[in-house]
Amino acid sequence: MTHGLWTLRVKVDGETVVDTEAELGYIHRGVEKIAESRDFTQITPYCDRLCYVSAMTWANSYIYAAEDLLEVEVPERAEYIRLIAAECQRLASHLMWLGAYGPDIGSLTLMTWCMRDREMFLDLLQELGGSRMHYNYPRVGGVKRDIPVGFADRLVAKVKLFEHRIDEYEMLLDESTIWLVRLQGVGYAKAEDMVNAGVSGPNIRAAGVNYDVRWAHPYSVYDQVDWEPAVEKPTSVKGADCYDRYRVRMEEMRQSCRMILDAIEKIPGGKNTNYANGDEMILAKAPTRAPEGATGFSHYECTRGASQFYIQGGGDGRGKNPYRLSIRSPMFITIPYVAKTMIGYKVADIPAIMGSFDPCIGETDR
Amino acid sequence: MGMRVTNEQADMAAEDAVKKLSDRFGSADVKATVEHHANAHKMAFVRAHVPAQHWTAVAKFLRFDAAVNYCSMVTGTHFPEGGADRGWEVVYHLMRQPVTDQAPNTNTVHVAESLRGDDIPLEFEVILTLPQTETPTVPSVQGIWVGADWNEKETWDLVGIRFEGHENMHRVLNPHDSPEGFHPLQKQHKIRYHDFNEMYDDAQGFGRKPTDEGRVK
Repeated sequence: MTHGLWTLRVKVDGETVVDTEAELGYIHRGVEKIAESRDFTQITPYCDRLCYVSAMTWANSYIYAAEDLLEVEVPERAEYIRLIAAECQRLASHLMWLGAYGPDIGSLTLMTWCMRDREMFLDLLQELGGSRMHYNYPRVGGVKRDIPVGFADRLVAKVKLFEHRIDEYEMLLDESTIWLVRLQGVGYAKAEDMVNAGVSGPNIRAAGVNYDVRWAHPYSVYDQVDWEPAVEKPTSVKGADCYDRYRVRMEEMRQSCRMILDAIEKIPGGKNTNYANGDEMILAKAPTRAPEGATGFSHYECTRGASQFYIQGGGDGRGKNPYRLSIRSPMFITIPYVAKTMIGYKVADIPAIMGSFDPCIGETDR
Repeated sequence: MGMRVTNEQADMAAEDAVKKLSDRFGSADVKATVEHHANAHKMAFVRAHVPAQHWTAVAKFLRFDAAVNYCSMVTGTHFPEGGADRGWEVVYHLMRQPVTDQAPNTNTVHVAESLRGDDIPLEFEVILTLPQTETPTVPSVQGIWVGADWNEKETWDLVGIRFEGHENMHRVLNPHDSPEGFHPLQKQHKIRYHDFNEMYDDAQGFGRKPTDEGRVK
């Protein structure tokens, strides 16, 4: 959750919210326009910066669309590495969410704990991409470089440690009266309403629906590793409340850990091998130009919901650039819906409801 | 072990949907085909070319008779050199998702491989092609999918496609006081400062002038 980058206009009657309206666009950077004058490799760093909390998933999401457009076969080892990187990013992103949501509710301890654990995963991602937040790691046809020797051991040690840390968080939060009082019974949202309004990802899974892009519109090698979608049982006919959305993200972190531990063992080519940059095990040859009329589309389970890219080929430089690149941000659609779910609750519930949907304004404004 | 919707299921669902669409709207010039992605698992999806004047009818059919319950993305594209018949294109990406409201303390457990018929998740790409015009207009589907609301706002804001019947249309990403008629993703607007020579000759940028200086921005 990011604060201070958007405005929520609220009409109140005493302490009760009567009407709301979201105002966005404060950090609109025009990535879609910029992409029209960049080639397919140059666009990846811009996609990293779409969401600065979850750069790896956004870059991957773009890369799958570019691969659809350019018709590239990706080596399986690269798909495994992408899966591991994306799930590490999901852990880091959910920790950032929990760390920011804690102070919203009144638990400052949470902020420091989550930042401590997030650092473990940022270190791991730094080993892959070279920097802490914006990795520029995936390439059309594979990944930039192979996992370093020893990475697998560090990954497994950290993930196993973190699995215990999740239990610690739950002991801290699920027995905290403040946490329960502020989250339970607040911000109800029904599954069908959410789908009709375009909400996706953990937010609908919190309402009891086992629906996940990773199995429904499959990409990568999620069918080969051990996991199941995190789904929460709602406790009321009114749908999922803030507490359900918190629970589903905790469960999703567990599933990510499970996936990583399984994938690192199954990785083709061995977990302690390091192939040279550009080796055909990790990077397939890809064309650089797309003909006019070709299109590419990707559907990706980002940390906040389904992100999508749609690319039309045949731009400047005889098809070297995209003619049009369109981005679907899950949060851009979710925020107007969440603004309306607040109607009827108290002013003090606004941060609890908004934060539980995990908004990230970087991707919202693009 | 993780599950997934198989290619056969997606093929089956896509062929079904194409048949339904062609039976109902074949005479109205709606061309639906089964296509396959080139990435990842090469999944099937439905691509439909729909004349703009029939779009509302087709949308209602998809929503209520073909269980397409999710409008995920609206893309507008400007083709100034696309010929007289193709000046603009509006692409709707719609999804079918097996989602129902849950009774308390229950949840739906989908087993991907055993989903059948309208429960199979499927992707629809609906393409509306508009002729060369100053005022590209398509009917709004805001009333059919709530999710189309802000997608259409964004498409009007950035590309300038007008959505007839859309309520409460306003700027969302551009500043609210942007001049009327300014839609930055139209092709006559060029990115400024992208010429490398200019950057090296004048690294500090004191001498730079916007390429569209003097025109409406």
